[in-house]
Amino acid sequence: MTTYIIRRVLLMIPTLLGITIVVFAISRFAPGEPVSFTGGIGGQIDTGQTDVTSARMKLYGLDKPIHIQYAQWLWRVMRLDFGDSIKHHRKVSELIKERLPVTLMLNVVAFLIIYAVSLPVGILAAVKHGRFFDRASSAVFLMLWSLPVMWVGQMLIGYFAGPTFKNWFPPAGLSSNYAEQLSFLPRLADRLWHLVLPVLCLTYTGFAYLTKQVRASVLNNLQADYVITARAKGLSEPAVIFKHVFRNSIIPLITIMATLLPAMLGGSVIIERIFSIPGMGLLAFEAITSRDYNVIMAVATIAGILNVAGLLLADIAYAVVDPRISFVSAI
Amino acid sequence: MSKQAKETTRLDTSYGELIWRRFTKSRLNLVCLIFVLFLFLLAVFAPFIANDKPFVIRIDGKLYFPLLRNLQPSDYCIFLAAVVVLWNVIGRLLPFSVPLGLRRMNHRNTSGLGLSVAIVSVGAVLIFVFVPRRFDAVDYKTMDACGKATGAIFAFIPYGYARTELASRRQPPSSRHWLGTDDVGADVLCRLIHGSRISLSIGFVAVGISVVIGILVGAILGYFGGWIDFVGMRFVEIMMAIPVFFLIITITAFFPRSFLNIMIIIGVTGWTSNARFIRAEFFKLRKQDFVQAAVSLGLPLRSILFRHILPNAVAPVLVNATFGISSAIFIEAALSFLGFGVAPPTPSWGQILSLGVSTSGRFLWWLTLFPGLAIFFTVMAYNVVGEGLRDATDPRLSKVA
Repeated sequence: MTTYIIRRVLLMIPTLLGITIVVFAISRFAPGEPVSFTGGIGGQIDTGQTDVTSARMKLYGLDKPIHIQYAQWLWRVMRLDFGDSIKHHRKVSELIKERLPVTLMLNVVAFLIIYAVSLPVGILAAVKHGRFFDRASSAVFLMLWSLPVMWVGQMLIGYFAGPTFKNWFPPAGLSSNYAEQLSFLPRLADRLWHLVLPVLCLTYTGFAYLTKQVRASVLNNLQADYVITARAKGLSEPAVIFKHVFRNSIIPLITIMATLLPAMLGGSVIIERIFSIPGMGLLAFEAITSRDYNVIMAVATIAGILNVAGLLLADIAYAVVDPRISFVSAI
Repeated sequence: MSKQAKETTRLDTSYGELIWRRFTKSRLNLVCLIFVLFLFLLAVFAPFIANDKPFVIRIDGKLYFPLLRNLQPSDYCIFLAAVVVLWNVIGRLLPFSVPLGLRRMNHRNTSGLGLSVAIVSVGAVLIFVFVPRRFDAVDYKTMDACGKATGAIFAFIPYGYARTELASRRQPPSSRHWLGTDDVGADVLCRLIHGSRISLSIGFVAVGISVVIGILVGAILGYFGGWIDFVGMRFVEIMMAIPVFFLIITITAFFPRSFLNIMIIIGVTGWTSNARFIRAEFFKLRKQDFVQAAVSLGLPLRSILFRHILPNAVAPVLVNATFGISSAIFIEAALSFLGFGVAPPTPSWGQILSLGVSTSGRFLWWLTLFPGLAIFFTVMAYNVVGEGLRDATDPRLSKVA
């Protein structure tokens, strides 16, 4: 087991290096010199190698060969130093330290809700295979799956959080202005009240996806021989479903966990933008509109690292849950 | 049970017929397929449905055809692509073989597809070189209204998608503008119809790019295996490790935002799943007798990979492509919504949607509801068709159901 985990972690290293190479390459393949942006109007006019540009290039280390630039950047990234943000005039690592917890909180809450809804619905749909509940739930989820998230977000704000129609929920942010003065419980309620609409937007695609997987997995297991054995020895139907089928069908869902989280991270760019939630997604959005390259590269790198960490966790959880997986042969 | 018996007794059913029968078992699949075809027609004939130029107009006793005169090179490209697609469809339906058609994809005629793509791309270049871009600023509507011209026949929706009419901006739906107007006074319905062209062409070109890259990479990894496969799969893993949407917006941050760039970016980031499908199929097939036969005949590698193995391995990728189209349409809409998409005079569903909340914070429901519905129905139609195809081509399901 320990060797398996160590091997997995070691295999992560080339992947992580690859992510940094991809991110670095994207930023360097881009047309235009980085200094021409900071140079303002003057910088854009002088196209030749004037003293100003070459001095700037030297200042940022851009006069060195590309592999040395990459090595320097990587060395700084390894010490969690992503440089300064041009827009915020602060260290990028500080900004991310502020923003990352917000996004993670949002996604973890949504994640828990997705599992809490999808597991029972998926199991019930599989048990009632081909009957009304199964068909109705798959039709509803098929629709939910195709709903564009920016549309849903904007409609929810427009109809439930605006002066035009109903004004039930706050349209933006994570807490009210006066939240600092509240005691713990009202503050929690305030936070939850702000979270309703964004979390709703984050969850509904996940419902559709996960329920489908749960249903398929349970259906697959319901046809297995051990179910016939369990029924033949007189176990009650709930015991068959929950003690035998459920525990076996949960295994493939662990890998899905690893694919669901990064998809949600990507989706949270749109949601954080619509609801003005100060998380990683909004940071990325603002960085792109203001061409804040250090922040963009940092966010892409960290998103990649989080994703790889998720995959690793899923693999380890997979091995822990399913004793049939051999640690020796699986790389 | 009787249905199943019927299906198994007829042994002369072809693979295509079998899939078609399974696919059309569900009424919803058929409805969605028809909707997809309807969208095609809408996209191809958009300038004839919604245009501010009249088909025919008589000025000083002379007949003019402003609409036909004002067709842009991009319009001709779309017509060319539509004709080639139609030609292929007819070629498949007719009992005899048509030149250039891709009859029977599961046989070894994948070259027809390549030829069609080549014709369209060469034609597009020629059209852009030789067809002049016209800009006709004549306001035929006022001419018609004040009696300077007679006998004008306008399109069904007599507005141009790039027309600005500041007097009638941000108007809710009315009898003049059925779906209202946007922030510069352009008709929303007209922009939606023309936007379907952007969505569909981005969907198809992006998926085309990702399928081609996926097939090339997957074929090489799957066929050779060994260390090539190991190194290649690490690279695929790296590409998959960065969340796609983050990767896309990162690239859009560094590259200029144009229609072509967005197609390329979505295509270049979406190939990993195709490569994995193709790799898995090639892994299975490379040990089979027909491949060994091709190898021992001394055929070139290109022929073994793409004429012998690929036609047997391409089905899961083609099914996956349907979902790819819906996700590319969705990504384009999301990018345009965030303001990273195509530039405003070009109509895009996501861009119209982003106008739904005005800068002063007012909620303009018609600018939110209608483009959203357009995205929703399109994406859902492609998803349903994709699901239907996947179920129809899945050999395991024919045993179970």
